[in-house]
Amino acid sequence: MDNPVETIGIASARIARLAAIRAMLCAVAPALTAIALGVLLKPIGNVTWMRLGYRLAPERAAMLSLALIGAGIVVLAAGLVMAFLAYRRGNDFVAAAAELDDRLDCDQEIVTFATLADPSAPESIRARRTPLFPILWRHAIALFASLDVRREFRLEVGEPLKRSSIFAGVVALAMVLATLGLVRAPTPENTEAAKLRAIAEEIAGTSTSSDDSALADKIREAADALENSKLPPEEKKERIEEAMQQADKAAQKRNNSQSGKNQGTGKSNAQNGNGAGKSQGHGNSAGAGIGEGKSGTGAAQNPGGESSGSGKGATGKDSGKNEGGKGSAKNDKNDQNKGDQSSIELHNELAKAEAQVETANANNPGPDNQPADDKHQGGGSQPDPNRPGIIPKPGANGDRNIPAAGGKLKNNKDMGSNLGDTHLGEMPTSTNAQRFLKPGKKGATVDIKDARYVMFRLPGAPSSGSGGKTVLDTDRPTATTGYVNAPLAPTSDDAPPDERQLVPPRYRDMIH
Amino acid sequence: MGAAPQQASPDQRVADFRKIFSRAESEVARVIVGHREVVRKMLTALFCGGHILIEGVPGLGKTLMVKAASETLGLSFKRIQFTPDLMPSDIIGTQVLTEADGHREFQFKPGPIFAHMVLGDEINRATPKTQSAVLEAMEEHQVTVFGTTYVLDPPYIVLATENPIELEGTYPLPEAQMDRFIFKVVLGSPKPDELREILSRTTGTTQNRIQPLFEASRAPRAIEDLKALVREVMVAEPLERYIISVIGGCTPGGPGAIPEVSQYLRFGPSPRGAQALILCAKVNALLAGRVSVSYDDIDDAIVPCLRHRLLLNFQAEAESVSSESILEQVIKRLRKPRT
Repeated sequence: MDNPVETIGIASARIARLAAIRAMLCAVAPALTAIALGVLLKPIGNVTWMRLGYRLAPERAAMLSLALIGAGIVVLAAGLVMAFLAYRRGNDFVAAAAELDDRLDCDQEIVTFATLADPSAPESIRARRTPLFPILWRHAIALFASLDVRREFRLEVGEPLKRSSIFAGVVALAMVLATLGLVRAPTPENTEAAKLRAIAEEIAGTSTSSDDSALADKIREAADALENSKLPPEEKKERIEEAMQQADKAAQKRNNSQSGKNQGTGKSNAQNGNGAGKSQGHGNSAGAGIGEGKSGTGAAQNPGGESSGSGKGATGKDSGKNEGGKGSAKNDKNDQNKGDQSSIELHNELAKAEAQVETANANNPGPDNQPADDKHQGGGSQPDPNRPGIIPKPGANGDRNIPAAGGKLKNNKDMGSNLGDTHLGEMPTSTNAQRFLKPGKKGATVDIKDARYVMFRLPGAPSSGSGGKTVLDTDRPTATTGYVNAPLAPTSDDAPPDERQLVPPRYRDMIH
Repeated sequence: MGAAPQQASPDQRVADFRKIFSRAESEVARVIVGHREVVRKMLTALFCGGHILIEGVPGLGKTLMVKAASETLGLSFKRIQFTPDLMPSDIIGTQVLTEADGHREFQFKPGPIFAHMVLGDEINRATPKTQSAVLEAMEEHQVTVFGTTYVLDPPYIVLATENPIELEGTYPLPEAQMDRFIFKVVLGSPKPDELREILSRTTGTTQNRIQPLFEASRAPRAIEDLKALVREVMVAEPLERYIISVIGGCTPGGPGAIPEVSQYLRFGPSPRGAQALILCAKVNALLAGRVSVSYDDIDDAIVPCLRHRLLLNFQAEAESVSSESILEQVIKRLRKPRT
């Protein structure tokens, strides 16, 4: 026969434990959700980038990640406090008796018994026992005879988990909303930086030497610098140059090691190619789509491949296939080509990044020519192309910025004038105007499809030559109204311009 | 049947209480048809040590009921018909000059209030002065005449009746005095079956006779023992809090007062109401074979214990809102938290 006081005490402890567990369960799911989301925010951002083409602003994403982790920890701590409070509240002798009373349907006999038999109650309460108390004691014993406290008070996790899942859903929803708020359409710099990072990851993943690791680090630094809007363009370029040099160094080392191998095993050891991105059209048979060598003559010109024998390189446009070498290629030829391809790709991306910096620099020449809040991202207050204030006047030096017809660009970084720019910042290179060509000949077409507006100039009155005389062309139609530049309608599309594949500066001279 | 001796075991005492109560009900039922709830409340009030106010039209058997109860329990019974010219001395007694052995002296002649069970018929017809004389005796269980205090023998119970009709020339009991009655029960008209039974019992030749449960000499002591047993029934602290919440819920402006209470009541029950609730609930618990009070015991006692302690305002009168309906609302509202 159990002591009913002990039974109520056991029930009280169990109720308190269950209350604490339930309270904790309520907090666990939202806390874990917040922490998990905080930890996974970066991968989620990557997925967003890869799948949807949007990116999370890294600084804010980091802050959000920290906030989520912090919130999760706070909720967890709050859950612990709530569990402790629930335990204290649940560990009540009389309350446990009332719970037992309800479950066993005892008409408050157990709670009355507990009130008068509570070990922690003051003596004055126990003094209220009457001669009828033994009857109450016996009744309590009889009621507890078939009671199994563990079976009666089971841990039911359904309800707290349901409540908890609601909180977790709220946390997830808040996180989604916050993420949506942080999602940005990537700028060209972001895109380029992301590509560079991907290459860096690839290099780091397959690195076998410290040089590769250093190269990966340099690429990452260049990517970071590219995205860092606070860095001046010169510094960005410097970082990119460093990455390029590092890449060259790595390629050189690879070439040297390969060269030694070839000398030991092959007959043909001519290595005319000097790595990706540096080829100048001398029969580079290991191009990755951009190496348009004229013709490879003589020895195989695979910078990394182990080709032996002699032969004639295929004419240009090799895209990774070594067709120049006859004879037996070694087994590591493909790996070598792959490495070259990566190297070339890296150079291309770095060159693009550099061009991107230059473009950005050209579009943001300095504070003097910029409105104060011009962010160069489409949303800023760019000069209104419709404003009528830039009308060239006859005799004025308004034509100073127009590229000279037939002339050669002094500098291939000429981005044109600020009166007639394309939206990528490049003015078309004009050659001799059609009207100066001989009949039947066609000059180079001027690609002005991306121009926002076109400025044209009517020829002035012909001046008299030394032997001729001035003849007035009275039949020439003359404008009856004043002419102005006819600006195109302002674009309403706030989206950033489409990415364009820019030709690296070093190749521009090669393209006509 | 003998009285439950004090030396008997607790179980035996509880069993005797239930048996005596049940038999008293049965004996009264031999002469009173129906009104079982009223009889039960009358016996409950007796064992609680309180008094009872019975409201009903004339001719429903109120006097017979009280008389039957007193006869069953072996207690003395007196009836007072209250009239406007009834004086306090007519009730409590007076000093009468008597002559014996050549000496004249004042001798106290006790009035009809000196009995175990006193039926005050139509108490609202007496003047307030007379009413207060009775009410003082009810509260103090003693009367004072010319400076001499006379204790009323226990058990003492006053059963006052009120006629809800013919209210001209009546003096309705003040609320403060109504508070001294532990219950107010309403005696309704008998149902057709009951009326037929009444006719057959009272107009025939056979008459049912009541078997007293106690001898007259032992009855007061036996009843007092049973009253002591009632007070030994235990009440848990949560149930005391429930009673307090009920009283607060019925008090306009009190803690937990429901909107209907604030809207329709001028005053709520006094602490006597809470005492009445507990005592009545204890009797209910004993009758259920328990030695501790349950929520149901309290709920059963709320309406008869508190209905005459609520003072309705004009709006309630105008809208025909009864105190019973307000109490039902209170029970409904307060029952939720504990289930």
